[in-house]
Amino acid sequence: MIAPHTPRSCTFCPDESHKPPGTTTETARAPGERAGERARAAWPEGGDAGGSAPGVPGFVHSDFAPVVVAVAERCLRRGYGSAGVPAGVRTAIVLVTASGDLASAQHVRATVEAGGRIGPLFFFQSVPNSVAGHLTARWDLRGPVVCLSPTGDPYADGVAEADLLRDDGDADEVLLILIEQAPDRPTEAVAVLLGGGARP
Amino acid sequence: MVEARVAQLTGVYAASALGRGADAQLAGVLAGVPAFGPVGRFDTAARRVTVAATLPEVGPLPDELADAVDSACRAAGLDRAQRAGCALLLAVHGGPAAGPAPAVLAGQLAARCGLSGHTRVYTSACVSASTAVADAAAQITRGDVERVVVAAGYLVEPDQFALFDAGRALAADGAVRPFSAGRRGLLLGDGVAAVVLESSAGHRRGAEPLATVAGWGRAGDAFHPCQPEPGGVGLARAVDGALRRAGLPPQAVGYVNANATGTAQSDAAEAAALRRALGGHAARVPVSSTKSVHGHALEASGLLELVVTALALRHGELPVNAGWRGPDDSCPLNVVTGHPQKTETTHALTLNAAFGGANTALLVGVG
Repeated sequence: MIAPHTPRSCTFCPDESHKPPGTTTETARAPGERAGERARAAWPEGGDAGGSAPGVPGFVHSDFAPVVVAVAERCLRRGYGSAGVPAGVRTAIVLVTASGDLASAQHVRATVEAGGRIGPLFFFQSVPNSVAGHLTARWDLRGPVVCLSPTGDPYADGVAEADLLRDDGDADEVLLILIEQAPDRPTEAVAVLLGGGARP
Repeated sequence: MVEARVAQLTGVYAASALGRGADAQLAGVLAGVPAFGPVGRFDTAARRVTVAATLPEVGPLPDELADAVDSACRAAGLDRAQRAGCALLLAVHGGPAAGPAPAVLAGQLAARCGLSGHTRVYTSACVSASTAVADAAAQITRGDVERVVVAAGYLVEPDQFALFDAGRALAADGAVRPFSAGRRGLLLGDGVAAVVLESSAGHRRGAEPLATVAGWGRAGDAFHPCQPEPGGVGLARAVDGALRRAGLPPQAVGYVNANATGTAQSDAAEAAALRRALGGHAARVPVSSTKSVHGHALEASGLLELVVTALALRHGELPVNAGWRGPDDSCPLNVVTGHPQKTETTHALTLNAAFGGANTALLVGVG
C-alpha cells in the first residue's frame, strides 16, 4: 500500500533504505519539499482501506481506469478545490505506467487466443490515453496527453517529461499520474500536480 | 551572434507494407496503390474485417527495430563512436507484450545499436512517435542534447486487430478513404521507422540533412476518452504551436500529410482543425493521408508519416490520397487525388491524433 506522506514506502519512489540517515534525494524529500509539487494524492490512502475506486462510465473489467480517475481527481481537488482549473491554464497529463491496464490486456489476450470475440468497450480502453481523455473532458485540461512506460525511476521519468512540456511551452502545469497494476496485489497510484507557479 | 539551434533529420529509415527502406516508402506513396491484403500472419476467421497492410516477411519487432536504428544511423553517417551518448526515444505499444516489456526493449535496443544516452518509451497510442519527435526537437533546440534517435514500431498482431475489429473501427470495404465520401474506417498496417535528429550546431560531417523539424506542437482536446472534438480545437492549437515555433505564417505550409484515418467523424474534425488553424489557406493547401496506402501503424504512425512527408517534400512530389470516391461536404479540402502533385514548397505539416484527445503537429522543412 502506498502511504502518501511516507515516500520510502512508495512503489513509485526509489528504495532509500540503504542510505545513511539524513541523506535525501529529489524523490525522497517530503512531498511538500519537492520542487514544483503543488498537490499530491495517492490511491489508496487511509480512508480507502479495502475499498474499490468508484467505477468510471465506459470502462469495464479492470480497476485501472477507476484508480487513475480516483487518484487524479483527489489530486486536482487538493490543488484547486471545487473551483476547478482556471480558464486559460493548459494542464497536461503525463501518465507513467509499466503495467498499463494489465487486467484488460490479459482478458483480451485470453479471449483472442481462445478464438473468441471481444466486447467493444475493450477497444476504447485499450490504451492509457483513453482514461486520460476522460479526465481532460471532466476537468477541461487542454494541455498535451503523454503516456510513458518508465525506463528508470517512474517519478523521475515523469517529472523529466513534465519539465520538458512546461519549459517547451505546450503546458503551464502537469498532472503526473503514476500507476501500476499487478495480479497479486492491489492497484496503486500516485498523482502530483507540477508547476503552475514559479518554475523549479 | 549565436546561431539558433535547429533540429535536423540527418538519417531516416522505414519499413512498411510498401517495402523496406526510404526509397520504397517514397515510391509507394507516390504510386498511390494501397498495400492492403488478406492477413496471413494470424487467424482472422472470427473477425468482421480480415485485411491489413503487412510486410510479407517480417522478423520479431526487436530485430526490426534494431535494423531500423542501424540503417538510420548509417544513413546519417554515424559510426559506433558517434552513436555513443546518443539518446533513444522509442514509441511502442505499452503494457504486456509478446516480446520484451517496453523498457527492456528500449534498453536492449540501445545496447544493440550502441546508443548510450538516456532512453524514454512513449506509449501514447497514435501520437507516441510524433510526441517523441517533438520532444527530441525540443531537447535539441534548447541545447540539452546534440543527437537523438527516435524509433517506433508496430507490426500488425492479433490482439490490437481484434480490438479494432470489435470497436468497428476497421473499414469493412477493405479500403481507406481519407476525407472521401463513403469512407468507412481505417485499416491497420505494419510500420517500423527510425530517424536521427541532430543539432544544426553539432552536425559537421558534411552530409546534407534530409530535412529539418522546423516546428512542433502538442495539445489536448479536453473532450472525450476516444472521440475527437468536432471543431478541431485541440489539433488546431497543435498546428498553431508548430507554426509559432517555426516563425512561419499558415501560407508557408505547402502540403499536409493528414492524420486522416478514413473515419467519418475524425476526418471531419481534422478538416475543421485545418480551417481553424490555416484559415482560407486550408481550402487551397494540398492535403493527403498516406495511411490510405500504408495503413495505420498506431504507435509508429507518426514516425512513418514524418519519414514519407520529408522524402516527398525533398523529392518535390506530393503523395496521392488513395481510395478517393469524391468530395464530402464535411471535409472541404484540396485533396491530392489521382496522381502525385509536383511541388516546390519548402514546408509541410504532418499531423497525428489519438484517443484521449491527444494531438500533435510536426512542421517539416527542406531547402
